[in-house]
Amino acid sequence: MRMNKRVLLLLLPGLLFLAAFMLVPITLTIASTFVQDGKLTLEGYLYFFRDGYFNRILLTTLRVSVVTTLVCMVLGYPAAYYISRASARKKSLLLALSIFPLLTSPVVRSFSWMIILGKKGLINSFLVNTGLIAKPLDILYTPTAMMIGLVHLFLPLIIITLLGVMENLDHELVRAARSLGASPFAAFRKITFPLTVPGLIIGGILVFVGSLTAYTTPALLGGKERVVSTFLYQNAMTLNDWQAASVIAVIMIVITFVVVGLMNAWANRLNPKG
Amino acid sequence: MSLLSLEHVSVAYDNRLILEDFNLSLQKGQLLSLLGPSGCGKTTTLRLIAGFLNAEAGNFMFSGKDYTKVPVEKRNFGFVFQSYALFPHLSVFDNVAFGLRLRKLKEAEVKKRVNRMLETVSLGGFEKRLPGALSGGQRQRVAIARALVIEPDLLLFDEPLSNLDANLRVNMRVEIRRIQQELGITTVYVSHDQEECFSISDQVAVMNNGKIEQLDHPANIFKYPASEFVARFIGFGNFIAFDGRNDEGADIELSRGELKFQAAKRPGGEGNTGLLGAIRPDDLQLLGAGADMGTGTEGNALTGKVQVSTYLGRSYQYQVETELGVFTVNQEMEQPFIQGQQVTVYFPKEKLVLVQ
Ligand SMILES: Nc1ncnc2c1ncn2[C@@H]1O[C@H](COP(=O)(O)OP(=O)(O)O)[C@@H](O)[C@H]1O
Ligand SMILES: [Mg+2]
Repeated sequence: MRMNKRVLLLLLPGLLFLAAFMLVPITLTIASTFVQDGKLTLEGYLYFFRDGYFNRILLTTLRVSVVTTLVCMVLGYPAAYYISRASARKKSLLLALSIFPLLTSPVVRSFSWMIILGKKGLINSFLVNTGLIAKPLDILYTPTAMMIGLVHLFLPLIIITLLGVMENLDHELVRAARSLGASPFAAFRKITFPLTVPGLIIGGILVFVGSLTAYTTPALLGGKERVVSTFLYQNAMTLNDWQAASVIAVIMIVITFVVVGLMNAWANRLNPKG
Repeated sequence: MSLLSLEHVSVAYDNRLILEDFNLSLQKGQLLSLLGPSGCGKTTTLRLIAGFLNAEAGNFMFSGKDYTKVPVEKRNFGFVFQSYALFPHLSVFDNVAFGLRLRKLKEAEVKKRVNRMLETVSLGGFEKRLPGALSGGQRQRVAIARALVIEPDLLLFDEPLSNLDANLRVNMRVEIRRIQQELGITTVYVSHDQEECFSISDQVAVMNNGKIEQLDHPANIFKYPASEFVARFIGFGNFIAFDGRNDEGADIELSRGELKFQAAKRPGGEGNTGLLGAIRPDDLQLLGAGADMGTGTEGNALTGKVQVSTYLGRSYQYQVETELGVFTVNQEMEQPFIQGQQVTVYFPKEKLVLVQ
């Protein structure tokens, strides 16, 4: 392929910006984690992986992110499918409704969840008052509360991502499958689903990365429960330990890459073309 | 008895009726075309037959059974889409095998039938390709193979050739007709291209605005359009509104004021109803003014003046102004008439037809 070389110059401002404000700081951050007292060492990492407290935080974070991602996929997919098949008027209404949560800040939303999930919150008062349970449940300030808050935060994101893919799906393909003898369910399983899996994967990656790095929601709904991002913040801002914060940041980056890689591999298995 | 019949069917989109009290029937083994301008309801009719649409009223009978409520997947009809609708994530082989696998055939049998079908459409060796790596003509043939391999009871084509270039279009339509006749498979074929429809069909239904204007053998439609719409659609570019007709003699005597015309009766007698005369530009003849027209040609002629002359390659096309308006004439000749020349336009009585 030949391309006018001067056109490449158009990329230059963007590349310079990325290099100055992203590549350089990230490289410096990563490099700094391997140096201690002027010597190359893995001590920074070994310290964390030997630490039971950090391992628990890491595990909680992964569990919260994975569950949030799966729940968002399971809830988002049928919703997006329904919206994509709705009539034009209904579609814009449903779309507006599903985007609406994005317009309020995560702080406000987390406070709403605190009102709903707390010891004297809506759910517990209802359950106690109706006599279904004797003592209020501990939901707020648990990983469960984080998951609920994160699902609420990211569901619109995965719906919009999936909608983009589903709108592009040629419905003629489904008709073709039906005319060849496929029941509506078989046509969905063999045509619609494989062709929309890329949307599910991209949406899933967005939700996972978002959950992994989310700060406000886990901080407000998690109480004393820590996740990696709140732990990182604590190390950097409260304890002023930037070395530790950098190590945590690199661990997060690595987890992100591993998960994105795994999900891409999964997408390729389900859809050779995707 | 006909294999397929639509009886008093109505179809609406968003409360707008597209087909109303629509009737159509087709004999086993025949190829019927639906021909008409874009938007006249051809695709709608085909989708109704396929089962993609539900009728508001009326019945669809197939092979003596009421198919009105039979779901798409139970009909066993092959559908070839205008966009081909090949499954982009499946190879050519898997596309064609799709319907057979749903029928739970053994994989060895699937393989045998798919390969035989791919041979039939000259696509042996392409099994592993994805549709994205095929040319338009090859995709088209995969689409046909996929619809044929399930041995459908009815084959439906929606403008299958409209995305191909002109040469390929002619080859493919011959191919479609060959396969259709070889397998003796009853077919409904939709197109807005009259040449395409006429060349491959046993019957052509010319549609306008959700109605069938004429259903007949292509040659009959070509010669004897029943209505002004059909006449215009298939290329009768010249019309004369007569004000009187007399059917008593050997020919139909027509008049327009003082002017007299004759039109030959149609062999068999029927047709040729109405008072609007129609004739193709190819069938009009142009003679120099004062030329000897022989006997029997008094009447059926108008004098006029050449307004425009254009060269079409094989023939010249003239716009001739007469007292009954402007007529278009195509004529092969060595020495063309020039603009402004006085000429006589002659209407051979065998070629002048009457339409509603
Ligand atoms: N999905 C649809 N919703 C609303 N109107 C439609 C739809 N499909 C077709 N129509 C209308 O129905 C009429 C017939 O369409 P169609 O059967 O596709 O015509 P053709 O195939 O002859 O070009 C047109 O006026 C078209 O605008
Ligand atoms: Mg159409």
